[in-house]
Amino acid sequence: MRLKWKIFVASLKMFFRQREAIIWTLLFPLFMITLFGFVQFDGIGKLDLGIANEAGDKGARLIESLKNVKTLKVREGERQAELLELGKGERDLVLVISSDFNAESQGHLTVYFNDARPQEAQLGQLVLQRVFDEITFAQNPSPNRLMVDAVPVKSRNLTYIDFLLPGVLSMSIMQMGIFGVAFSFVSLKKRGILRRLWVTPIKPSDFILGQVAMRLIVVLVQISIIIGVGMLFFHLHFIGSFLELFLVGLMGAIVFLSIGFALAGISKSEDQVAPFANVISLPMMLLSGIFFSRSNLPGVIHTITDFFPLTYLADAMRSIAIDGATLPQVGPQLLGLGVWCLISCTLAVKVFRWE
Amino acid sequence: MSETILEVSNLVKRYGDLVAVNNISFSVHRQEIFGILGPNGAGKTSTLEMIETLRSIDGGEVFLNGLEVHTHAQEVKRLIGVQLQSSSFFDKLNLKELLLLFGEMYGRVVDYHKLLAEVELEDKAKAQVGQLSGGQKQRFSIAAALVNEPLVIFLDEPTTGLDPQARRHLWGVIKRIRAEGKTIVLTTHYMEEAEELCDRVAIMDQGKIIALDRPQELVRHLLAGGFTKERVERLANLEDVFLHLTGHSLRED
Repeated sequence: MRLKWKIFVASLKMFFRQREAIIWTLLFPLFMITLFGFVQFDGIGKLDLGIANEAGDKGARLIESLKNVKTLKVREGERQAELLELGKGERDLVLVISSDFNAESQGHLTVYFNDARPQEAQLGQLVLQRVFDEITFAQNPSPNRLMVDAVPVKSRNLTYIDFLLPGVLSMSIMQMGIFGVAFSFVSLKKRGILRRLWVTPIKPSDFILGQVAMRLIVVLVQISIIIGVGMLFFHLHFIGSFLELFLVGLMGAIVFLSIGFALAGISKSEDQVAPFANVISLPMMLLSGIFFSRSNLPGVIHTITDFFPLTYLADAMRSIAIDGATLPQVGPQLLGLGVWCLISCTLAVKVFRWE
Repeated sequence: MSETILEVSNLVKRYGDLVAVNNISFSVHRQEIFGILGPNGAGKTSTLEMIETLRSIDGGEVFLNGLEVHTHAQEVKRLIGVQLQSSSFFDKLNLKELLLLFGEMYGRVVDYHKLLAEVELEDKAKAQVGQLSGGQKQRFSIAAALVNEPLVIFLDEPTTGLDPQARRHLWGVIKRIRAEGKTIVLTTHYMEEAEELCDRVAIMDQGKIIALDRPQELVRHLLAGGFTKERVERLANLEDVFLHLTGHSLRED
C-alpha cells in the first residue's frame, strides 16, 4: 500500500512538472471554450427587424413597443438602406412606417420579408400583428375579446457555452486518456525506464495502479477547474452535482485510459501511436456532439455516433451539469460507458506488452 | 579461491534461429570484479539480462547466492543492483526523489545523501537526470543500483561513451564499491578498462565464452604461445598524451 501511494505521489509530481501536461489538460480546453465562446451563436433565434420610420414622432411609440419584444432585434434606418440589407440577408423583416401613419386610426403598415426564410417571415408577421393588436386594444378596449393567459415559467436562458463547455471537458478527458497514457507509456518503454523498474521487486500492477490513480485525480482537477472557470468567467449555468459529475468523469476516464494503455501496448514508438490515437479520437471529437449538436447528422451516422464512448460521456456530463440530471436520469449513458469500460479494459489487458 | 556467489551453468538464449548465448558456464566469487568482454553482439547483454531476471532462460541454470534466479526471481531481485545499458530514469523527478522512490520499491527508506556522496553527486540532489553529463548519469545509475544494498551489482557497459577523464573517475567509484564488500559483474569492450578493474574476465564471441582467466594470466598465456607484437610497445600512447595535456580532472560541471 505504501509503495502504491509513493508511486502515485511521484506520478503526480511528474505530471504536474510537465509544462505540456498543464497546457493540454487545462489551458487547451479553456482556450477552445474561449475561442468558440466568442463565436456568437446566441443571436440565432432572434429575428432581425429593420424599421424605416418615415412618420417621425408618430411612429416612435410603435418602435418603442417593438424594441421591448425580446424575440426582435430592432435596427432603424432609411427605407432604401434597410431594403438593401434585407436583400443581403442581414434582415429577416423590414417594416416601413410611412409618413401618413397614424396610430389612432386604422391603417396599414408594410412589411417586407426575406422570401428565402419563410419561417422567420411568418414568425415575424405574427409577432408584429400581436404588437399592433395590443396597441389597438389599448385604444379601443373591447370586453369580449378572447385573451390568452400566458403563465411565465422560470426558465434559464441557456447559451452556447452551456452546450460547449461540458462537451469540451469530456473531450479533454478523452485526450488525456488516449494521448496522455499512450504517449507517456510508449516513451517509458522505449527509453528503457520500465525495464529499469522490472529489475526491482516492484509489481507491474502497483506501477499501473499508481499511474491510473494519478490520472483519475488529474481528471477531477480538470473537471473542477474547467467548470469553475466556466461559472466565473463564462456564465455557465451549472446546476448539477459535482459529486455526480466526478463519478461520470471518472467512468469516462477509465474507458479512455484503457484505450490509451491498449495503444501503448501495441506500439513500439511515438510514431506508431500517433496515427492510431488520431484515428480513434478525431471522429469522436467531430461527431460526438462536442462543438455542435448531433441532431443535424444524417440518419446512419447519427445512429453510429449514438454508440461512441465520447457521446455517452459528453451527453451525461452535459445533462448533469446543465440540466441538473441525477445519476439514474443518465442511466442509459452510464450503461453505455459501462459496456465500453468492459470492452476497453479487456482489450488493454489482452494487448498490453511491456517490451 | 573464495566462495562462489554467482554460478552460471550451460546458459542458452535463442532469438528465433539465432543462438545469442550458446551454452556458457562461469562462476563469480564474492567480492570479485568480474568482467565479460566481447565485441558488440557477442551475447554479453543477453547473458546479464538472464541473470538479472529480465529475460527468460532457454536452457541451463543460474544460481545467485544459492537461489535459482528463474524460480526465485523476486528474492533474487532483492539481492542484486542493476545498471542497464542505455536505460533512463523518469524525467521530472530529481535525483533525491528518484533514489527515495527506488528505495521504496524495496521497502526501504534510503539515505539518499550517503548514496549520492558515494558516487560524488552530493551537490546534484535537486537536479534532474536530464541535466546531468554522461559521466554523472552513469554514476547516478550506479547510485540507483545501490539503494537496496545489493550483494551483486551488474554494470552493463558503464563507461561506454564517456571521455577518458570521466571513465577513469568511474573506475575509481567502482573500485571503492568493491572495497565495501560488494561483488561486481560488468561488461565492457575496452580492454584497458578490463585490465585496470577486473580480477577475472570472460571473453565472449558469438555467444560462447572463448577464454576465462585473470587478465595477467591471459596475457602470459598468449605470450607463452610465441606471440609478439609487430612493433615494440611504446612507452606512452595517445591516451597518455591526451590525459597529460588535458589533465585528469573531470570536465562535466
